[in-house]
Amino acid sequence: MKISFPHMSPVIVYKRLLEMFGHEVVVPPTPTQKTFDLGVKHSPEFACFPLKVILGSYIEAIEMGAQMIMTSGGHGPCRAGYYGELHSRILKNLGYDVEIVIIDAIFPKFNDFIKKARKITNGASIFKVAKVFKVVYNLSKAIDRIEKRIEKMRAYEVNEGDCDKVWDKILKKFDKVNTIAEVEAIEKEAYGMLDNVPVVKVEEDSKIRVGVIGEIYVVMESSVNMEIEKTLGKLGVETERSQYLSDWIEHNIIPKFMRDKKIDNIIDEGKEFIEIEIGGHAVENVGYIKHFKERGFDGIIHLMPFGCLPELVNQSIVPTIIEKFDLPVLTIPIDEQTGKANNQTRIEAFVDLIKGKKELRLNNGKSKIS
Amino acid sequence: MKIGIPRALVYYYYYPIWVSMFEELGAEVVISDETSKNMINEGIKLTVQEICVPIKIFNSHVLNLIEKGVDYVFIPRLVSIKKYETFCPKFLGLPDMAKNVFKDFEDRIISPKISSSTDNITNLSSYKEVMKKLNIPSGKMKSALKVASKKFEEFRNLSLKGFTISEILEGKTSGKKPFKNTAPDTVNIGLLGYVYNVYDNFISMDIISKFRSLGVNVVTFDMLSEKEIYKHMGHLNKHLFWTFSNKILGAGMYFLNEDQFDGIIHITAFGCGPDSYIGKMMELDSDKKHKPFLTIRVDEHTGESHLVTRVEAFTDMLKRKKMSQVGRVSV
Repeated sequence: MKISFPHMSPVIVYKRLLEMFGHEVVVPPTPTQKTFDLGVKHSPEFACFPLKVILGSYIEAIEMGAQMIMTSGGHGPCRAGYYGELHSRILKNLGYDVEIVIIDAIFPKFNDFIKKARKITNGASIFKVAKVFKVVYNLSKAIDRIEKRIEKMRAYEVNEGDCDKVWDKILKKFDKVNTIAEVEAIEKEAYGMLDNVPVVKVEEDSKIRVGVIGEIYVVMESSVNMEIEKTLGKLGVETERSQYLSDWIEHNIIPKFMRDKKIDNIIDEGKEFIEIEIGGHAVENVGYIKHFKERGFDGIIHLMPFGCLPELVNQSIVPTIIEKFDLPVLTIPIDEQTGKANNQTRIEAFVDLIKGKKELRLNNGKSKIS
Repeated sequence: MKIGIPRALVYYYYYPIWVSMFEELGAEVVISDETSKNMINEGIKLTVQEICVPIKIFNSHVLNLIEKGVDYVFIPRLVSIKKYETFCPKFLGLPDMAKNVFKDFEDRIISPKISSSTDNITNLSSYKEVMKKLNIPSGKMKSALKVASKKFEEFRNLSLKGFTISEILEGKTSGKKPFKNTAPDTVNIGLLGYVYNVYDNFISMDIISKFRSLGVNVVTFDMLSEKEIYKHMGHLNKHLFWTFSNKILGAGMYFLNEDQFDGIIHITAFGCGPDSYIGKMMELDSDKKHKPFLTIRVDEHTGESHLVTRVEAFTDMLKRKKMSQVGRVSV
């Protein structure tokens, strides 16, 4: 049976996960305006933007032959936990014959979880399941480490686009991995390739760093956020996101006593502004603003999909945070009509602003621009 | 001591508890004015643009209370009133948003975390912050909550009899029977919508009275028992996450599956996230059941005339359909 999944970068991780369990995988095409239009057409108007993109993406995957779709569930209060249910109703009504397997939390529906997990693991033994998860987890970590380095390098590359060319090559190499040793070897090779990319030397003091925070889908999936990291890189800005797949796995799948407490600590920081978890990554994002400030970042770009409930609460709180931390934050709402040109201007203006602010600080209050 | 309670959001469901609780504690309770165009205009200025209308209205009411000179404003954080269920993120973050909008008033906002296993939210643990902030011994709080609990049960019983919350609020229930047109060709409509949309007359433009003046019987979710609400929800793999949304969806399924209802109307406020799901699910299912389903979306600019036309047209359509079924008139 041909199986597909929602398109959220890095897709290669989900692809390997399913392939290693012996499934035939249909990788959905990278979302384009056509995908958005398809999704918008069949979604409720006030649904959040990711629901619409993912619906469009499913339709494209089904038309490429997918018969089953694997996705994650959830227990709210964010609407994303109900995506699968709504998607399957809409698709059924449109006449598509597809099974959507929604993986929910283990409790309270334990048997249901096991039944669905078996579908994914395709009859593999518990040892194989453990091995596959280990490989995939290591793969996601390696990919995130390399991407973090590229996010820094892009700002200083001599020939525009060099880093991304190398990045594509690296991802192609990862496409075939089966063991942890292979992941490690490719990661090492990747660093070698990146070392050969010519970069301009910039003094540590004058480097500009921007943190990209927001709802997980629009932060991770570059095709819906106007490739924000590339855009910033071209303007000579280093970036780091609040969301990485390996962090998500660490925080959501690995038991509390075993995992790295990084995300837990950031959430605790966020509780200064939002006292309880309100769904999505709202509290975590607020915590990340503080985290980035403490690490000396110069600004924050806050991506918010249209209609996102938790991020709307965040948006109400951001003005206070800007004031408190003296840190510029640019909130960009994202929907199917988000034009690149319009936002390009806003982003450039924002980068100019933080550059000016930094210069002012470095020159003890005297600006070079008079 | 003056405690202000905003006449917004779940005030229309929980005022019996909160008003009588504060009165029992010896406070003077001040309720904000009824929603008006002027109030909303002030609220919009304070609120982020994209957020739903009910939150904008809520901020207008808080502002109204502050202008009235209250000592404290009561903004509870509704977390959960049913196991495994919760509230919309905007309810969960409501005090946080309010504290940022009304910065000078921050330390005079009372925001207890309401977390209970039933609709009747009079468990002592939900009101810890009230006790702390106002220095109330737990014995006194307990007896206040006991009175509040009784008031809430009385209120719910009146709703279940078929009185609207507006009627209960105005005290028009004693010695009267709820409105019911018993003529054989009467149209029965199920009205879906949160209490703060249906019973805020600015939002709903008093739609229930409009239907009644046309002789239509209207049933809302608060008139249904828990059992009726969950009667037709069994086929769902997964309930929604938000308790009041589940009540609306359950009521919708009830109206769809019970033959006495001729049509369903969903009043939703601009920008409501959970309603976008309910709307789609109702739309898909009403198609299968061949039952007319109308969505009325209201925002801060909605005028009354267009609503009247839609209400009348929908009623006429249902009447014609019913007449041809009853066989009294062939159209």
